[in-house]
Amino acid sequence: MRNQWNLFSTIFIKRLKLILRYPLNFFSSIITIYLIFLAIFLGSKYMIGSQATTFSNTIEGIIVGFFVWTYAISGYSTLSWGLMEEAQTGTLEQLYMSPFGFGTISIFIVISDLILNVFWTVPFLFLMMVTTGKFLHLDLLTIVPLLVLSLAGAYGIGFIMGGLGLIYKRIQSLFQILQFVFVGFIAAPVDKIFAFKFLPLSLGTKLIRDNMTKRISIFNMPFNDIFILIITALFYFFLGFYIFKLCEKIAKDRGLLGHY
Amino acid sequence: MLRCEKLVKIYKGKTEVRAIDDISFSINDAEIVGLLGPNGAGKTTTIKSLCCLINPSSGKIWIDGIDVTKNPYFAYNKITSVLEGNRNIYWRLTVKENLIFFAGLMGYSYKYRKDQINELINIFKLKEKTNTEARFLSRGMQQKLAIACALIKDTEIILLDEPTLGLDVESTHEVQNLLKNEMVNKGRTILLSSHNMRVIENVCERVIVINKGKIVADEKLDSLKDFFKVNAYKFEIEGRIDNKVKEEFQKISLGTKYTENSSKTEIIIELNDFMIIYKLLETLKDNNAKLLSITRIEPDFEDIYLKLVQK
Repeated sequence: MRNQWNLFSTIFIKRLKLILRYPLNFFSSIITIYLIFLAIFLGSKYMIGSQATTFSNTIEGIIVGFFVWTYAISGYSTLSWGLMEEAQTGTLEQLYMSPFGFGTISIFIVISDLILNVFWTVPFLFLMMVTTGKFLHLDLLTIVPLLVLSLAGAYGIGFIMGGLGLIYKRIQSLFQILQFVFVGFIAAPVDKIFAFKFLPLSLGTKLIRDNMTKRISIFNMPFNDIFILIITALFYFFLGFYIFKLCEKIAKDRGLLGHY
Repeated sequence: MLRCEKLVKIYKGKTEVRAIDDISFSINDAEIVGLLGPNGAGKTTTIKSLCCLINPSSGKIWIDGIDVTKNPYFAYNKITSVLEGNRNIYWRLTVKENLIFFAGLMGYSYKYRKDQINELINIFKLKEKTNTEARFLSRGMQQKLAIACALIKDTEIILLDEPTLGLDVESTHEVQNLLKNEMVNKGRTILLSSHNMRVIENVCERVIVINKGKIVADEKLDSLKDFFKVNAYKFEIEGRIDNKVKEEFQKISLGTKYTENSSKTEIIIELNDFMIIYKLLETLKDNNAKLLSITRIEPDFEDIYLKLVQK
């Protein structure tokens, strides 16, 4: 009668209901993100000139980068802002008191988030393509695993920020700064500097771009790159989770878990 | 069922605070224990330590013989809590959605707990608000919902930290009755912390008084009252009385308190021997004082509590 599927469906349905309950908030966030995209697109067009081949390459990069960024920010916010909000409202302690453990709950939150974000990031991707007139190749068999592996790093950072939030409470400005750091990760020139491949989001975004613009399937991508992507994804995700657990221990030692 | 031994919690900082200092107690199956103490006494730290939400500096906590400081997930199959009243629920979910969510946290499906959810909504008089978001409920209703969310988890032990905090008299009374009917009378094991003596007195059978992190009393409520029982009597006398009578009373009794107005005088006296009461009556008779009534004063739980924490 008691099982993990019931726990997962409870978490998923709760998140879905909260999105549907506040449509204005949801759509205004999408409009804001779209306006940011529009500003970047029109700015690039003005700076580079629409005839140049460079612009064509740039805009493809912007669409893919923006798609990964919106997905990453959404996932990152779920853990950083989300955990802070749960602590502030006093419900975090209740999540901790589930016999399945907070680790399982946070994994289910991440999975719910990955699924639910499809419903707005994919239409948003099409909106970007319609706006720019640049239609990219969409190979789900390649994009989905690459996206999941890329986002693992963002979730790892989300865990770290969520953990720090448990201890230091008011670190919202740091959360915001990191959203822009993500832009740097996504735009990092991994082809030029090998070490950048080990940054969160960087290599994954490059491989997604290769698929969407050059139609390179995951099976034809360099094995080394896929291997590095898997290793970095696991490394950042589990490092983030480990640091979160450390912060949780400190918060429990100091009695800060439910403080706000 | 629940036992803690030599529990210590020290908060380290610029100044070291011993929030709980070597406390030990146990709670048996289906026992209802009140946890009393002034602000900062260590009640919340104790409750949160028992829930494994705070790591104790030292000491052990056992539930059904299992050390839960090492295995908190075992504890979460047995324990649930209502901490800080109305802060434990999702304000943007409706009453019903909250109950479904908290059942789900234990791994129960809605289908499996549907009857219990509807039953709790009815018992807690939340039917009209079933589909209302918790943020639109009154504080009293939010606290009732928080208690219902704890009950839907169906655990054997429930820890309640100030469940009536900030409620008006009517809501306090309602919550108190719900606690009594839905927890006490249904064989759950309860530890209830409160500032409200009346709630503790009406709901609990045993009380642990904690002050400055230490247990200052751990007794059955009746034993505590017996222990602090005093031979105190209230005399009501018509009109004012002479100073001579007052002096006589003071000489004979252990302590006296006077309240006078033009129509009557109230004298509260403490005696160590009941026979002295006859001497007092003689004194009144000799001074032509008209006695209206004599009543024995029962020990007040609030006074007992104050005596314990001010020791």
